[in-house]
Formats: sequence, C-alpha cells, structure tokens
Amino acid sequence: MKVVLNISRFNPEVDQQRYFQEFSVSVEGHHTVLDAMLQAWRQEPGLSFRRSCRSTICGSCAVSINGTPGLACQTLIRDAAGADGRVILEPLPHFRQLKDLVVDLEPFFESLKAVLPWVVTREDYSGRMAPEVSRQLEVPATCILCGVCDAAMDAPGEAAPAALVKGLRLTLDPRDALGEHRLALMKVPPDILKLFIKNLPDRCPKGIAVQGIKL
Amino acid sequence: MIMHEVLIVGGGLAGLMAALSAAEKADVAVLSKLYPTRSHSGAAQGGFNAVMGEEDSVEAHIFDTVKGSDYLGDQDAIEVLCSDGPEVILELERLGVPWTRSPGGGIAQRPLGGAGFPRACFAADFSGHVVLHILYEQALRRRIKIYPEWRLIELLVEDGRVAGVLAYDLARAKTEVIRSKVVVLATGGYGRAFAKTTNAIANTGDGMAIAYRAGAVLADMEFVQFHPTTLYGTNILISEAARGEGGYLRNAGGTRFMADYAPQKMELAPRDLVSRAIFREIKEGRGYEGKYVHLDLTHLGEALVAERLPQVRDLSMRYAGVDPAVAPMPIEPAQHYSMGGVRTGVWGESSLPGLLAAGEVANVSVHGANRLGGNSLLETVVFGRRAGRRAAELAGKEPWPVLSKTTAARSLESWSSMFSGGKQIVQEDSTFLIREAATSIMTSQVGVFRVGDELADAVEKLKELKKRYKKLDPPRDAQPFNYALMEYLETGYILDLCEIIAGGALRRTESRGAHYRLDYPRRDDLNWLGHTLARRGENGPEFSSGPVKITRYQPQERGY
Repeated sequence: MKVVLNISRFNPEVDQQRYFQEFSVSVEGHHTVLDAMLQAWRQEPGLSFRRSCRSTICGSCAVSINGTPGLACQTLIRDAAGADGRVILEPLPHFRQLKDLVVDLEPFFESLKAVLPWVVTREDYSGRMAPEVSRQLEVPATCILCGVCDAAMDAPGEAAPAALVKGLRLTLDPRDALGEHRLALMKVPPDILKLFIKNLPDRCPKGIAVQGIKL
Repeated sequence: MIMHEVLIVGGGLAGLMAALSAAEKADVAVLSKLYPTRSHSGAAQGGFNAVMGEEDSVEAHIFDTVKGSDYLGDQDAIEVLCSDGPEVILELERLGVPWTRSPGGGIAQRPLGGAGFPRACFAADFSGHVVLHILYEQALRRRIKIYPEWRLIELLVEDGRVAGVLAYDLARAKTEVIRSKVVVLATGGYGRAFAKTTNAIANTGDGMAIAYRAGAVLADMEFVQFHPTTLYGTNILISEAARGEGGYLRNAGGTRFMADYAPQKMELAPRDLVSRAIFREIKEGRGYEGKYVHLDLTHLGEALVAERLPQVRDLSMRYAGVDPAVAPMPIEPAQHYSMGGVRTGVWGESSLPGLLAAGEVANVSVHGANRLGGNSLLETVVFGRRAGRRAAELAGKEPWPVLSKTTAARSLESWSSMFSGGKQIVQEDSTFLIREAATSIMTSQVGVFRVGDELADAVEKLKELKKRYKKLDPPRDAQPFNYALMEYLETGYILDLCEIIAGGALRRTESRGAHYRLDYPRRDDLNWLGHTLARRGENGPEFSSGPVKITRYQPQERGY
C-alpha cells in the first residue's frame, strides 16, 4: 500500500523553525512505521531518527505517531495509517527536538538518578526468593527506558514516570536495604502514585503493570 | 584533550561488566554508539549457562562446550568460562537481577541446545535485557562516565601500542581525540553484514573492523552462526528457550523431522545442526511454500507460554500475526552470531598492546566452530569482568603511553581528507546499493551451505564492491545526527569483514561446526584443526593458521 509520512523536520544548523516534509512510501500493511521511516530515509539520507533493534526491546525509536507517543517498530502501518493513508511523525512531546525526530535524552536519563535506581543489597539477604516475588520484579524490569511514558503523562510530583517504574520495582525487591523508604524517596503522594500505577499499562508500550505495592 | 585510564568501547553486557570491574581501581569511561540500554545484548532471550546445582558439574559444561565447538574452541578459555560462571551469576543476583526462581527459591534453570543438563539461568525470555539494565543501574551508582552516541573512528597506535582513540560525537558532529592507557573493545558483532539476520540495525562490526585496520589479528571469521528459529520474513529472533521449554519443529507434513538428524537431542541439538536440518527439509520439498518450517508450541499450554515465553509470544503475534499458544510459528534460519573476532587471550589481551576485547567482538575462543545457546551471555559477563580487571591492573602499573602530535594530527587529517570531495565518479551509486549487494552475496553465497566456486565468486564480487565503495563521496553535511555518514562508515566496516569471512570460508576446505562445505563435507582434523588468523595486508586480508589449545578432550566424532 502507498502511505504518506508527514515528518517533522528541524536542523538547528540551518532552520529557524520546524517544518513538515511529506514522503511517499510503498509498504505492506503488516510492515511497521519504522520500516516506512527507513524507506523515507533512503529518499532523504539527511533525515535523522534513532533506531536499532526493530523488535520493541531497545527503546530507540520512540516518536509521536499521529499525536500519540509510541514505538515506531511496534506500530504496524495498517494501524497507524488511517483511511487517508497518512501518518504524522513528530518528536516525543515534553522532550527537546535536537534534529528531526531525534530528541534530547539527557534530562530523561538524568531523571532516573533521583530515585537511586540501583539495588542497595542487604547484608542479610539469603540468596533465595519466592517465585511469585521474582515475578513481581520481572514485570517492571522489562521497562526499556524508551521515554514514551514520560512523553505521555505529566510527571506526578518530582520524579519522572520512567524513574517511578524503577523506584517501584526496587520497593518490591527483597534484596534492597531501602525497601519501603523508597516510596518517600519518590516524593509522590500515595493517591497520585495509585493513579500512576493504574494508568501505566495503557500508556507503556510494554504494558507494564506494577503489582504488589502497598500504599 | 579527554583522558581516561581505561576506555571501554561498547555499552552492552561485556562493556558494562568490564567498566564496573575496572572502576574498582581505575578511572573508566564507556564510549557507546547507542545509549547503553539500547545495546543489542538486551535482545538476548534464552539465558546464561552456569553450573548451579550438585547434579550438574563444571566438567560436564566444559565437555558440552568443547563438543559443541566441534573441537575448535580453546579448552583453557572454556575452562575459565565454565569455572567462573557460577560466581558471576551469583554476583549478578546480588546486584538485583530478577532471575526466574524454582519453587524452592533458588535460581531456576532451563535446557538449551547441545547441553546435557538444564543449565541456563534466565528471567522469563528477557534474560539479556534485565541483566543489561541491572548493570546500567550499577554504572549509574558507580558514576561511570558514559559518552552515549559517540562512535569509535580509529584506534591510535604509537610505536605499536594503542594510546587512545579518535571518536566522533554524533550529537555535536565533532571528532575528539581521547587518550587512554588501555582500550577495551566490547562492540559486539556484525550481523548486518548479512541480508537475513536477527541482529539490530546497529550491529555492523565497527570494533572488529577498526581493530583489524589498526593491525590486530582477527580469528575464525568464517565461523558464522545461523540461528535456526527466526520469524519467516522479518528474521526477528525466536529464542531457543522456545525449544528448551518443549517446542517442536515440524515440516509441512507435520513430522518432527529432527528425528532424522539428531535422534537423541532432537530439537535441542546444537544450532549448526538444526539450521542445516531446516534448510535440507526446505530444499527437499518439505517446507511450507518451499520457504519455511513450523515451530510448534501449541502442546505446551497457554499458561506456560505466558509465563516462560511472554516476549516470544508478543513478537510472534505482532510480527507474524500468530499466537504461538494456539498456532505454530513460521520460522527460517538467519545469521545470528559471530564466533570469530579479535583474537584474545583469557584476560582479553589482543595482539596489539594496549588493546583488550571481550564479548562477541572477541575470539577468545570459547565457541570454536559453533556456539551453544546460553554460552554467549555467559561469555559477555565472565570475560567482560576479566578484561575490566586486567585493564585496571595495566592502568595501575603502566605510565601514560606517548601519543605524539603527529599521530593525532595524521588521524584527524585522514578524517577530514575523507570529505575533500571529487571522488564520486558514478553519481547514481550509493552506500545503500553497495551494502545491499554485499549483504545479499553473504546470505546467498556465504551462508549455511557453502561451496568452493560460489565462495570464490563471492570474494571477487566483494572486491568489486570495495572498488565501487572507494569511489563514493561520503555525505559531507556537518549536521548533528548524521546517520547518512554513519551508514557510509558502517558500509566500509561491513565490506572489510565480508572479505575476511568469505576469504576464510574459501580457504578452509573442510566442514566443521557452522562452516559447512558441500564440496568438503567432512571434518579434517589432520589439516584443519587450527584457528584461521587474519591480518590486514596490502591487498586485503592475509591468512595463516594458529594452534588450538587442547587440554583434556581430544577430538572425537560429534554426534547428537
């Protein structure tokens, strides 16, 4: 099928402001938006966007697709292109556009540090963990740090959404010496945190559902 | 000028593990072409082999690995891999890896191919991903300096010793000289040298090619692993864990054809054997549409698929439109892993002083002619840790190596002269066309089944492509995030590596592990029980042979 990608362009070296450029590409319905973007790139090698794994595990290709943040490699063309066969691609909202669809990720990765995103191993940890506890950790551990939740939600409190996912996982980890003190570290009121946990599966490309947090 | 005692290039499992262990004693930085959490280690699904219980033994792990390697693996390195394994798994456990647990609370293990015991520690089918992110967390904790989206351009060699690198920052579109006492390469493999590959777009063999250009010895590059089960068409990886959890391979007649090829191990035979079996079935008319076979999980039940293989299920549903809990997946083999790489010793030391390497970029060699599933993740953390330790040790006792102004200036000049222009004689040629031609040649003529005249033809065609490449003008725009320029550089790396892979495959007139010659279908220990060494020469790679380290297992016939 023929699809028109309408892509936000901006080169800080020459452009005063962003503008849109249309690319006509020919793809199959089961191809992804990333496949279509790679075709556009062949037409215009100066077009910039991040990509790598093309299988929803690296988190590089997060962009705004028709106004909704998502992964280009996860979104099938037949779902993205409406009856008019058009797809609008813009940089992630709430992130600074550096060049075309590439955004500044430094503040995002920096924001993780606020929750001390690492296990502080307890001295008395036995080395054993019940399978159901490990499973609770595994689900938030599948976070790919793509930035889509940060782009899709206004940050509750001071911590950014992806940092909260890390913080919540660590709260559940029986190895961690900080344990429930981590909830205080996140500086988010309990009712807002509850709402965040409730909304997360719908906004997260990996559908992460955090379970087992007592608020 | 930027200076770091130890510079790690690559932010995947091997690179981060090296950084964490070196940071205990030295000033360390990680330079990575992607943000570290985007590294392709994260796509590894199946698990980390290690002997964790009394019923299994390190001895058995060593033997399985030696046999899996078709006796080309260096047994001293394999002993290190298998002996260090359990300790590293427990170290990762303390750092926060959410391993899947057995009912008693210990680390659960699953069977993978070519192993005599369920030996792979895993986290559902996100094993590489969770460990990558845990190591990244620890790198934040240790405040390790990271240069994300910086590319290695050149290793700077002074008097035969690596004294730093020329690097390129994609965001600022600027080159920088970085001085270091030790450089550790952990840049992964070159999957994108093949048209059909499971590998990420970033996997273009940069580190391997740059080390080769700097004079380091590469080894066993003709040994390329083709993963048996990738989704038909997209070649997205479907983990060996799917067979480890009990999945069947079936041909178009519904028969579990592995019974004809590996009656004992069946679907859990080593990958080289299973990939050949699948292609034979297809060639002999027993594939679906003459193109693929089925990987069938439908008898496992939805609960097990959901719990143990959630990612496999998601990938298959999204990219093949098939829910593996209710219908079989269409699969075909595709390039997956490089057994070859920068030749190193058991501490990561390459043939170039000042340069270490670990992980897929290296050839230590624990995989020999064929890698077993679950051994590459183990290799990244075991040898990443060792390379980091050795790097810190060297940094502690050695003075800063001299990096003369002329060496740095020559490197910068060669970078800028690349853009001087006027080379492109054939205007309509492009890196896209050249890369497509090279990668198609690799998949069709240097694949699972190889034969002398096709390999010779591939070598000739690759030479022609290199000539065309040299006539191209690189994209000149000084703009941030210049992916066209990266594509140009990566195509150069791929062409260098293709030449070595195809040349080595043509030279080796025997069949061993993943290297299968239809015109020489037998293993020939008399003439070929040796490593292929490749050095850069005036007119392409110069090949020679090196001995294999055999400590306790003499070569035997390899049956499964």
